[in-house]
Amino acid sequence: MLNNGSLKTREIVAILSLFLGMKLADSTPSLLAQKSQNGFWLVPILSFFILLPSFLLIMYLLKKYKDKNLIELMEAILGKWFGKALGLLFFTFVFLSLSLDSRNYVEQIKILYFPESPTKVIFFIFIGIAFFGAKKGIEVIGYTSWIAFPLIKFSVTLVFLLIFGKIIIQRIFPIFGSGIDILMLEGLQKASIFSEIFIILIAYTATKETKKFRHGVYLGSIFAFLEIILFYFIYTTVFDYNSIQKVAFPFHDITQYIQFGEFFTNIETIFMVFWLFAAYLRFIIFLYLITMIFGAIFEIKKFEPLLLPFSFLSIMIGLLPLNSISNELFLRETLFMIMSPFLILLPVLLWIVALSKGELRS
Amino acid sequence: MSPFFQAEKSTSETDMPIPTSISNRLEINIEQMKELFSFKVNKDFSYRSFVIHFNKKQATIFYYSSIVNGDKINETILKPLLEEDGRDLSNIITIENLLVLNDYKQIIKHINSGKAVLFVDGDSSVYSLDVADFQHRVITKAENESVIKGPQDAFTESLNVNLSLIRKQMHDRQLISEGMQVGVRSKSEINLLYVKDLVNEEILNNVKKRIEDISVDSIRNVELLEQYLEERPYSIVPTILYTERPDKATAYLEDGFIVILMDTSSACLIVPVTFWSFFHSPEDNYLRYLYGNFSRMIRLLCFYLTTMISATYVAISNFHSEMIPPDLLLAITASREYVPFPLIFEVLIMEIAFEIIREAGIRIPNPLGPTIGIVGALILGQAAVEANIISPIIVIIAALSGLSSFAISDININFTVRLTKFIFILAAGLFGMLALIGVFLLWFMYLASIKSFGVSFFAPLSPHFKSANDTFFRKAIKKQIFRPGQIKPQDMTKRPKDSN
Repeated sequence: MLNNGSLKTREIVAILSLFLGMKLADSTPSLLAQKSQNGFWLVPILSFFILLPSFLLIMYLLKKYKDKNLIELMEAILGKWFGKALGLLFFTFVFLSLSLDSRNYVEQIKILYFPESPTKVIFFIFIGIAFFGAKKGIEVIGYTSWIAFPLIKFSVTLVFLLIFGKIIIQRIFPIFGSGIDILMLEGLQKASIFSEIFIILIAYTATKETKKFRHGVYLGSIFAFLEIILFYFIYTTVFDYNSIQKVAFPFHDITQYIQFGEFFTNIETIFMVFWLFAAYLRFIIFLYLITMIFGAIFEIKKFEPLLLPFSFLSIMIGLLPLNSISNELFLRETLFMIMSPFLILLPVLLWIVALSKGELRS
Repeated sequence: MSPFFQAEKSTSETDMPIPTSISNRLEINIEQMKELFSFKVNKDFSYRSFVIHFNKKQATIFYYSSIVNGDKINETILKPLLEEDGRDLSNIITIENLLVLNDYKQIIKHINSGKAVLFVDGDSSVYSLDVADFQHRVITKAENESVIKGPQDAFTESLNVNLSLIRKQMHDRQLISEGMQVGVRSKSEINLLYVKDLVNEEILNNVKKRIEDISVDSIRNVELLEQYLEERPYSIVPTILYTERPDKATAYLEDGFIVILMDTSSACLIVPVTFWSFFHSPEDNYLRYLYGNFSRMIRLLCFYLTTMISATYVAISNFHSEMIPPDLLLAITASREYVPFPLIFEVLIMEIAFEIIREAGIRIPNPLGPTIGIVGALILGQAAVEANIISPIIVIIAALSGLSSFAISDININFTVRLTKFIFILAAGLFGMLALIGVFLLWFMYLASIKSFGVSFFAPLSPHFKSANDTFFRKAIKKQIFRPGQIKPQDMTKRPKDSN
């Protein structure tokens, strides 16, 4: 069911760059801009390079321990119970970020396109579709991602080309925004904006040869990273330091700025189509991987029936925050800050234990 | 009772048990044959008794007069037997196809399939002589899958003719036409065509097994066989290709696919298929590179227009009117000013009206054909607009989506697309782009999850396989080196090996 081996590097690249790359078009940039102002486009660079050693370390461990996914690796190194406990902690973080992220996306959709519809209804439609999509399994998700990938990236490129004229480079100055110390701290605290590259490791055995998976993850994360940096740079240079703090959804705001010639002036719905497509795919991937993590922790081979309870649970948790502002600026930020040290330290811990057990020499 | 009437548990068609062995006394055999085929009431079951000239033995020949060639019986069987001298039967009878049968089951089968059966006194073996002459249509032009540039002939309701149409295009000794039988009461012949050193054995065995597993009284034609073979009878997506064009069938054979023919259908089935098989037309390859791809581009647009245009219109004008340029928005609003219905209702009226015209157009007797045009165009188009039932813009939308659906020539995928259209319209009416995109994504993922005989529906695009990459667009003919890798043919390249 899972490992028919028909997923290849390209599908993994597509999955990861949709999963992670969506960060360029949600409200993460405005979250980052709260403190670092117009220097916020540097934060992901810092975060990425802070997270990179840990990430490379865990990739190295996965390579050493052959054919184990993230949770199995943790159990193999740390022992069954401690591994499972840490796995459960990881699952909790990831599940919370799914719930909060989905609320965030639903609020975006509601505010921008369906101001009169109740949040609950949009939430149920959104997660409902993600649930049915996730039901189809990782292979179909991979195929779909690969076919949708060029279309979605084409639309992003189009946004880039159309906004190009509105960029004023001078706006990146002062280059470190509100100060280099704040920037560094932000970069460290928000390192978990790249948590997706850890989450996807649960599907480590989804390809026939794990080498393909590793290549896919490397390529996909580099691609998504560059894409994110490029767009955060655009947001900075288009909005400048004053307004960037106040813009809740920079991507959608940018699409409202652009026009295609004199006749087609309001083309944001076209981009909304691709954005929605990517958002659905992101949550399909998210939901599936999370259920997979849970299945791996509790050794449930057929974890797909769990998709339904988890979808429902994520709606329920997602509906808990009172409003989108508290969700975005308080809860998500806090989650990022708790998750970052966990993600940075976990691989180091695994590595040290593995090293002291002497398992790495063989 | 004679020992020949011993009961045998059989699944045969007659109430009378089939005798186990053939007697060497002619009169007993004649009686049995008469009884087996209900000679008294069955008008076209005929026999003729005579004395063979060279050994002076009594002989009788049985056949259905409606399905044999009378002249042939006369010229190649009766005349030689009555006049010629010779050593034995097979040297006297001049017919090209002579078989010796040993039991009644075979005899019944052979007579049913148009053979004449010859009994000779004192001989317990029986001669089956191929004089079959089933009536069928002549070869005509392909009417449902027409092309401008390319061969025009189409299959007809005769296995031999259809085979000849294929063999004419493919001179390959490895092209096998393997016969199988299906049905218990009425046994029908199914022919599997494949190129022995290309076809994927696994898929071939899968197809054979599925045919063997069919347990039913009768399957009359490939149209019914298709539904017995497919994995998902309730699915919105077809998983078997149906075509009336021999050139299309041959093209698939050359790539290692399997073609299924039956005697009673003017079409064949091709397995396994992908989405692209339904999307492509043989003409894409007959036209020059640029023209063929242009035609594909238009067809892709038609796919989009048929499934999405009405739904997009509903979604945008109901939920996202801000995206319509102001002038156009005003025009739409003005045209809807006097229309009492909600927009989605209007769209549904027009789409359903179009489907009605279409269905009626197929069923209507030919002499009444022009009525459809008058009723359809005048009443539904002009009058409905003038009566303010629907707005003119809806007529344009519905016409566009209807017209585009005709560009999708395969009848199966055509239905898929038309049904999908309604799903999308309802989704768009429910929650605008949010639901439309979501439902489209689910529909797409469903398609991606479909497998036809183990082959993914969007292969070789994703999952990727080595192939000629003949998906949305095709390469130049000279660059199409590989066979489609998703069906894993035995020989991947379309070029001769260097060693040969």
